[in-house]
Amino acid sequence: MGRYALKRLVQGAITVWFIATATFFAMHMVPGDPLASDKAVSEKIRANLEAKYGLDKPLLTQYGIYMGNLARGDFGISFTQENRRVNDIIREHFPVSATLGILAVVFAALGGILWGALTALNRNRMPDIVIMLLVILGISVPSFVFAALGQLTLVNINNLLGFSLLPVAGWGTVAHMLIPSLVLGLGTMAYLTRLMRSSMLEIMNSDFVRTARSKGVPAPRIFTHHQLRNAILPVITVLGPSIAVITTGGFVVEIVFAIPGLGRYFVQAVQQSDYTVIMGTTVFYGAFLVLMVIIVDLVYGLIDPRVRLE
Amino acid sequence: MSALLTVEDLRVEFDTYGGVVQAVRGVSFNVEAGRTLAIVGESGCGKSVTVQSMMGLIPMPPGRITSGSAKLDGAEILGRTRIDGTSIRGAQIGMIFQDPMTSLNPTMTIGAQIAETLQVHRGHSRQQALARAVELLAMTRIPEAEKRAAQYPFEFSGGMLQRSMIAMAIACEPAILIADEPSTALDVTIQAQILDLLRDLQRENGMSIILITHDLGVVARMADQVAVMYAGQIVENGAVDEVFYESAHPYTLGLNDAMPTNNPDAEQVLTPIDGSPPDLFDPPKGCAYGARCPHTMRICGPNNPGAFDLSPSHYARCWLHHPDAERRVDGITYREAAS
Ligand SMILES: Nc1ncnc2c1ncn2[C@@H]1O[C@H](COP(=O)(O)OP(=O)(O)OP(=O)(O)O)[C@@H](O)[C@H]1O
Ligand code: SF4
Ligand SMILES: [Mg+2]
Repeated sequence: MGRYALKRLVQGAITVWFIATATFFAMHMVPGDPLASDKAVSEKIRANLEAKYGLDKPLLTQYGIYMGNLARGDFGISFTQENRRVNDIIREHFPVSATLGILAVVFAALGGILWGALTALNRNRMPDIVIMLLVILGISVPSFVFAALGQLTLVNINNLLGFSLLPVAGWGTVAHMLIPSLVLGLGTMAYLTRLMRSSMLEIMNSDFVRTARSKGVPAPRIFTHHQLRNAILPVITVLGPSIAVITTGGFVVEIVFAIPGLGRYFVQAVQQSDYTVIMGTTVFYGAFLVLMVIIVDLVYGLIDPRVRLE
Repeated sequence: MSALLTVEDLRVEFDTYGGVVQAVRGVSFNVEAGRTLAIVGESGCGKSVTVQSMMGLIPMPPGRITSGSAKLDGAEILGRTRIDGTSIRGAQIGMIFQDPMTSLNPTMTIGAQIAETLQVHRGHSRQQALARAVELLAMTRIPEAEKRAAQYPFEFSGGMLQRSMIAMAIACEPAILIADEPSTALDVTIQAQILDLLRDLQRENGMSIILITHDLGVVARMADQVAVMYAGQIVENGAVDEVFYESAHPYTLGLNDAMPTNNPDAEQVLTPIDGSPPDLFDPPKGCAYGARCPHTMRICGPNNPGAFDLSPSHYARCWLHHPDAERRVDGITYREAAS
């Protein structure tokens, strides 16, 4: 297990290096110029700025410097926000995005497992039919629509009640977090529900569940000890990629609900060609996702002994 | 000796898209204490459904037990999981299945799966049950039982998995062990070991065994009684010697001719049985074997034969045994008219 974890971490580091390199060159290949804003008035100031950021050096040298800084965990200084270090931006805003994302993943995973198991156990009966209809809706509607609809509904409810049941936008308390993370996790929850349902149906008909019945194990114990544990394995496998889906979806939800997360900065940075912020957040997100996938795989190993010993 | 298990007129059907399958059509048999009953017959004749209905393993729906009774020590067990406060499945009757590779939970240790039976039925603590699981594994001749108990199914070979299944099934010392083709999925030498193990365990703890198999060699080696099933009915039933050496039903004869023997001196010609079993959606009114039987008579088409006794322990469902039947067929054993 320890060796496996180490191997995965090394693989992960290589992936992150790859992401960083690709981002760097992509960045320098797209048209646009971070200094094209109104600040760079004269040629002289421009030259100074280029020197400051190292933009006057050959591309490969820039790459070397950039990678060297990255290795030390230094993402550089923002082009557009005076003297603001990218590290500070991430430190300040990433926890907000992470909280939102993790809550959404928890909602999606718990909901998916619960609804999936429930529909499978009630196959072709009312709860199954209703939930599976909602699931189709959940999968086909994009998260920004849910975000807008969620917010609108909340506004209407608050109006109807005459007081603020839950805040409509902003960040800070648990009450702020509930609706945005639910909205963010909804699509994934629908997807996981469908996955869990089919996995559960397969397990319910499996030989080892029949064995458990033949041993006289009561149904609730069969559910917890034999069906659930085996049925969630496919759900855990896709949890890694799901985290990626949710994190990127988070950018939009953050904007709709005015949440001060990293996503907003990222979108802004792209609009202003703020090289260092774009690269910093991209690499950071990349590393975060890689780490999540590794953690998910290790958790999988804890549940499935076949992976643990390979 | 009175029977430990008495099954009478068991009928099971399934709703399917194609209609209602009459999988078991009036099956009756007895199992004596400490003895082995073999149920033989070709694929789809209802062997598994017969024993699964006793274990409460028939999925309902689509399945349905439409009539019959099964009495264990006089108490009705059909369609129930408990008798007078004690459970049947796992405690009174244990069962092992054909494919040990898929019949164990892949994410639970072997020890924990064996222990589970004891925790459920005997109220053992987890520790207690695990300790007993190790003993049971040792009883089924798994070396290094303690170490093995902590392993998972994927670390076991097929033969060892089937031993673990046996350990699991006998954990609560059931009166009857049902083995549904316990050795079919294993290679020949392992097969023999599993069968030997079953026989030895039976000698030690006196349990009865219901053994389902396709293999007449296995029957000869293991069984005291044999029930030959065809299209959801038992067509011949008797002590193993009676059914083998005094076969009274054309289907049993056909089965015998279709099986290779181990006797190298025998000049044997293998003859497959022509045709295929009848449609269980709409079984024939008369003898189900009629379409394939070389001795069909006029009466066989419209009338299903009842059981004709050849001895107190031996009967066959075939019109050839009717006193008015004109022909005597070679190979068929008749009851010598003593009465
Ligand atoms: N769950 C089910 N749904 C519908 N039909 C079923 C079901 N289970 C069994 N049957 C039908 O019942 C009949 C008897 O099946 P059974 O499994 O008892 O045969 P078998 O004698 O055990 O055959 P095999 O030697 O292949 O195991 C078959 O025709 C089968 O199609
Ligand atoms: S009853 Fe008739 S058809 Fe059926 S087995 Fe006997 S002889 Fe053959
Ligand atoms: Mg079968």
